[in-house]
Amino acid sequence: MTAQATRGVGRPQTNAIIDQVLKVLQRMIPPAIAIVLFLLVWQMFTSSPTANLPSPIKTVQETWELIIDPLYDNGGTDKGLFIQIWASLGRVAIGFTLAAIVGIGLGILTGASRLMHLALDPIFQVLRTVPPLAWLPISLAAFQQAQPSAIFVIFVTAVWPIIINTAEGVRQIPQDYNNVAKVLRLSKMQYFFTILLPASMPYIFTGLRIGIGLSWLAIVAAEMLIGGVGIGFFIWDAWNNSRISDIIIALLYIGIVGLMLDKLVNWAGSFVASADQK
Amino acid sequence: MRAFVEIDHVDKEFPLAGGDRYIALRNISLDIQQGEFVSLIGHSGCGKSTLLNIVAGLDRASTGGIVLEGKEVNEPGPDRMVVFQNYSLLPWKTVRQNISLAVDAALKKLSKDERKAVVEEHINLVGLSHAAEKLPAELSGGMKQRVAIARALALRPKLLLLDEPFGALDALTRGNLQERLMQICQESGVTCLMVTHDVDEALLLSDRIVMLTNGPAAQIGQILEVPIPRPRHRLEVVNHPNYYSLRNEMIYFLNQQKRLSRRKQAAPSVAIARNGLEKVNLNLGFVPLTDCAPLVVAKEKGFFEKYGLEQVTLSREPSWKAIAEGLTSDRLDGAAVVAGMPLALTLGLGNMSPIPVVTALTLSRNGNAITLGKRFHNEGIRTLEDFKAYLDRTPDTTHTLGIVHPSSMHNLMLRHWLASAGIDPDRDVTLTTISPAQMVSNLKAGNIDGYCAGEPWNSRAVHEGIGFVIATDLDIWNGHCEKVLGVRDAWAEQYPETHLALVKALIEACQYCDDRRNREEILGLICQPQYIGSEPAYTRPGFIDPYNYGTGDEPVPLLPFNQFFVNKTNCPDAVEDLWMLTQLARWGVVPFPRNWQEVLTHVRRIDVFDRAVHDLGVPHLIRDRSPVTLADGTVFNPDDPIHYLNGLAIKRDVRVEEIKLNQGTPVAA
Repeated sequence: MTAQATRGVGRPQTNAIIDQVLKVLQRMIPPAIAIVLFLLVWQMFTSSPTANLPSPIKTVQETWELIIDPLYDNGGTDKGLFIQIWASLGRVAIGFTLAAIVGIGLGILTGASRLMHLALDPIFQVLRTVPPLAWLPISLAAFQQAQPSAIFVIFVTAVWPIIINTAEGVRQIPQDYNNVAKVLRLSKMQYFFTILLPASMPYIFTGLRIGIGLSWLAIVAAEMLIGGVGIGFFIWDAWNNSRISDIIIALLYIGIVGLMLDKLVNWAGSFVASADQK
Repeated sequence: MRAFVEIDHVDKEFPLAGGDRYIALRNISLDIQQGEFVSLIGHSGCGKSTLLNIVAGLDRASTGGIVLEGKEVNEPGPDRMVVFQNYSLLPWKTVRQNISLAVDAALKKLSKDERKAVVEEHINLVGLSHAAEKLPAELSGGMKQRVAIARALALRPKLLLLDEPFGALDALTRGNLQERLMQICQESGVTCLMVTHDVDEALLLSDRIVMLTNGPAAQIGQILEVPIPRPRHRLEVVNHPNYYSLRNEMIYFLNQQKRLSRRKQAAPSVAIARNGLEKVNLNLGFVPLTDCAPLVVAKEKGFFEKYGLEQVTLSREPSWKAIAEGLTSDRLDGAAVVAGMPLALTLGLGNMSPIPVVTALTLSRNGNAITLGKRFHNEGIRTLEDFKAYLDRTPDTTHTLGIVHPSSMHNLMLRHWLASAGIDPDRDVTLTTISPAQMVSNLKAGNIDGYCAGEPWNSRAVHEGIGFVIATDLDIWNGHCEKVLGVRDAWAEQYPETHLALVKALIEACQYCDDRRNREEILGLICQPQYIGSEPAYTRPGFIDPYNYGTGDEPVPLLPFNQFFVNKTNCPDAVEDLWMLTQLARWGVVPFPRNWQEVLTHVRRIDVFDRAVHDLGVPHLIRDRSPVTLADGTVFNPDDPIHYLNGLAIKRDVRVEEIKLNQGTPVAA
């Protein structure tokens, strides 16, 4: 590297590219070292033959098929990890979309109306502390089927932070914007679309981000209980069959997908909220 | 005719936790004419923004209301567009979208194309066409404010409300925007009400400045007219002769409010009764002039203490207007005031309600002069006749002369002097009020051509070589009454023994002042910075040394120039006061009271003076009633003042009214 950099003098363009690469490398070195260290420690603790958990090398060896072919489909619940994840994502998508619609709606209602706030806020405050899985028996009893019950659990998990943050966003609309609306005598509709919605957007997206995170947490637990195709049941199934290595790989997938979901919502929010509001 | 905007007895109260109420505004009444630019100024928290919000309709008055063009205002609307302090642009909309939103909402009657044209017109008006597609976050503070102004003006509001519009901007941007706003306002003729805390901004932009007292229960303390002609320019307004006196007046008002608040927090000022007197803690006002000597001497030489007044403080006031305000608002117990002030305040000076002020003692006679700029001397002007001839030669030039207060002898004598040569003091020259200490700097700056003021401010102009004295008051009326002791009538009634002691102490001080052996010592006292703070070099002429006219001639000894005691100086003189009444009426300062006998008897507390001189054992100080003879040969006959008034050639419309005398309570107690 050093030799290359020295040779690059006199050619500024190549130099700039090399600088860029160096910078990226510099940033990647600390996490790479951390990961290597982590794997080493893991390997150390699990290399004895009596260890309960597989070592990293063993994990990769045992799950090689899962890793190289995430799309296989042997019928039933024996499918590739990608298909499993996809099924879970589908449930989250439906549940979360419902939660977003209902949550933003109720949030605006309680944020804009003092009466509604007084009436509904205590209910929200009690219900939001209920753990997601506690809803599962009720929803199974109500829907009698696994699929809608799982979706309902997602919904009921994600909806509270969306409601509460949206309501807060509406309450936090700067008085100046409201004054502008009053002086211009904007109609209710105009007010809603030109002031209220854009002004509370940053808060709404904060709610959505928390909501999507919680949904992803809840789906794994819910699927463990209801069965069928999905990453949650995949883990449960692997446990029942003592395939610990499969579980480890599944956890890795869940973590990466959860991170991507969070980034996705954040990225969408950056489009809607303007620079002044960030 | 009704005013364009009427703010009618507005009160505003806010409920407090615990059931109490905070009174923010109390009884605010203000009329704004169409096209006028009015500023509201006051310390933070005085409720000026609240008042603006009430006018905007964003807030409701607790009692009273706002009337715009005859219709009551009870909700916000685009006819009263507000430029908010923090711009209030919608950050998710571009410059153009922000303005369009307002235009589309407010000007529904126009077609789409017309509305578009309005938007473009106003973007160009504030010079932002290059940034029309930018979001507010990409703009500087000054640009955002321009967008806010464009948005407001695009709605063609009847009334433009500005809430500290330039508060958050740097000085340079602020200056440019102020000029821009002024220009736009002038072109569109829009009526403006602006809240600000910046004294210079208010002076630059406003036709009138409304100063609010500190809350709670803020009121209008004073309204200042800004007579600076338009179009104004930021760098030029400071040269207007009134600029600094107006500015000082505002600063003085604001400082006073600060002091009042502080005093409110500290122990309230209560009368300390001792030594058989009702009040020994007195606050006496004076304006830095040579003839404040009796007050300084009484304080420094212990005459106040001799008569039991143990805690007298002397308050150095910036102008006679400040003295008048101090007396009427009870801030001052008494003051050395210009001779006509007790009469003028009793009859109701300017727009103020009449507040009876009395005088029991004349403190000094003579001591004034008329100074003209050196260039008049170079033109060969030596006498009043030369000056008249010069004015006739230059009819197209405005000649401005400074006076210190409408009710002062300087004004009345200067006018009489000019009129005696056939010069109309209102038409042939312009008279402007400037506080005495600022005359020299205004003369130097070329804002005025000359002035009539007390010493040492004439000798200072001579000393600095920028002016010469064309006449002293010995040339107009030798021995006229100059400074008197003024106290409120109600004060005199409340503290009669204190009043008597004060008069006695000051008579002795006056006697001390007129012993020429003491003059060097007194000079040392009055030149101290807490009193006049002047150089002895230019304080001596007239007071000790021969008088230097600055004409290149030898200084002339003028023995009676500063007269404090001799020739029965101290006795209030009814004939003099009557002459002043006629002159105040002659120039339209106050109406002439038909019941002038009653007014004179009321204002001149000769009974107090009488008791004082008898207690002191000097009864020969009482003056005889005799006609006034002026240097130009006119004799004032005190028996028929109205006939005298009618016989004057140069005068304004003289009003003769019956004046009802009442005790009068202070406006802002």
